[in-house]
Amino acid sequence: MSDTYERLVALLAEGFGLEAGEIDPERTFSELEMDSLALVELGLTAQQEFGVTIADEDIQSDDTISQAAKTIEAKMASLA
Amino acid sequence: MTSGRKPSHAAVTGIGMVTAAGIGAETAWQTICAGGATAAAPVPALAGTPADFGCAVTDFGRANTIERRKAWRLDRSSQFAIAAAKEALADSGLEPATWDGARVGVVLGSGIGGAATWEKQHRVLLDDGAQRVSSMLIPMLAINMAAGYIAMECGARGPNLVTATACASGATAVGVARDLLRSGACDVVITGGTEACLVPSIISGFSQMGALSTRRGELHAASRPFDSDRDGFVPAEGAAVLVLERAEDARARGARVHAMVSGYGASADAHNATAPDPEGVGAELAVRAALADAGIGPGDVDHVNAHGTSTPLNDIAEAKLISRTLGERPAVTSVKGVLGHALGAAGAIEAAVTSMTLEHGFIPPTANLDSQDSQIEIDVVAKIGRDTHPEVAISNSFGFGGQNAVLVLTRA
Repeated sequence: MSDTYERLVALLAEGFGLEAGEIDPERTFSELEMDSLALVELGLTAQQEFGVTIADEDIQSDDTISQAAKTIEAKMASLA
Repeated sequence: MTSGRKPSHAAVTGIGMVTAAGIGAETAWQTICAGGATAAAPVPALAGTPADFGCAVTDFGRANTIERRKAWRLDRSSQFAIAAAKEALADSGLEPATWDGARVGVVLGSGIGGAATWEKQHRVLLDDGAQRVSSMLIPMLAINMAAGYIAMECGARGPNLVTATACASGATAVGVARDLLRSGACDVVITGGTEACLVPSIISGFSQMGALSTRRGELHAASRPFDSDRDGFVPAEGAAVLVLERAEDARARGARVHAMVSGYGASADAHNATAPDPEGVGAELAVRAALADAGIGPGDVDHVNAHGTSTPLNDIAEAKLISRTLGERPAVTSVKGVLGHALGAAGAIEAAVTSMTLEHGFIPPTANLDSQDSQIEIDVVAKIGRDTHPEVAISNSFGFGGQNAVLVLTRA
């Protein structure tokens, strides 16, 4: 898995009370009980971590963790 | 004076507590009964402020009562409430998996709400700008949320609210909860109070009012209700939750009943924002209303769990009120010598302690009462508790705004 994915997992474990073991690339945010407010909060945290702006619609609750990592990577690439 | 209604007893079938004297009702009760040095200690979050000590719950994280997945989105005040509610529900023997949730209400008391979250996010606003403010601020700050989260935790779909009467909030909640049973609106009410505001802005506010003890060299002796050397209250945090059911329902299902909540009275001083009426006239109205509601006379009261904050004004006014209204008979105690003053949670914690007092037949002592104020002419239990098996007790709670709530509790 990519570096972005690993950093995203670290964010989820540190700030959102998830255990590293329960986070899987193919699990969706809703499976991890992360509702829309939690995703807004994740967006704020990810913005600081990755230096890109993440809007409400960028990460959805039925996205998987690996999809979210790819969304963030694409935004980072467009900045580069 | 009578209420004209037949007495209504709400059975306390479950108790949960999170206090500076321990997490768990039994642990807290043992510490309170020992009546030794208070739980006051320096509070790291308050370092650098003039009032930098209080009665904090120090080992809550280790108790691990809230799932990590949920904890990050809950203010500490809601975390305390959920932990106490879980303990109380387990103690009650009720089964949230099978109960009719529509008949289960939640009424909690709280004075301040999610102050720690607000303070933190206000700092984010000032330092980093509005775009960085947490999306969780409102559900973590709003004072009603603790009750909502308890409902989510156990599927309680009945009436759900938070009462705010400052330092009387927890007692008001228990009184309102009992009314919901009496009216038939609920079959079970999960009630109590929570507070977690040992943060610099709030405690500095109390300090600037001159309400707090400044005995910084002797923290364990700072909270000393009814003592001649008292100089203010010691702020605390914590929660207590009581599960209430109609007495006949509790009996029918063979529940263990800690005590009965048998009366409730409320009133306002209509006097001053923060100072109590010096003669306790408003508070007396609440005591008399509670006794009338319970259908008992002043001479029947064996024990008073006092508001007893350790402030010069409260303790003298309350003592006058007790001696004038109830005479010299009741044995009076204030657990704030041990626990400090947990503000909106205090009345609930004291209702829980009073229930356990009646259940165990043992009145805990008032900690730090070395030399009773000569103007305080009541029988205060000092140093050593009393094994006197009280049958009828009242629990007083008086809040800023002149808001008063008094509960009558009786032995089951």
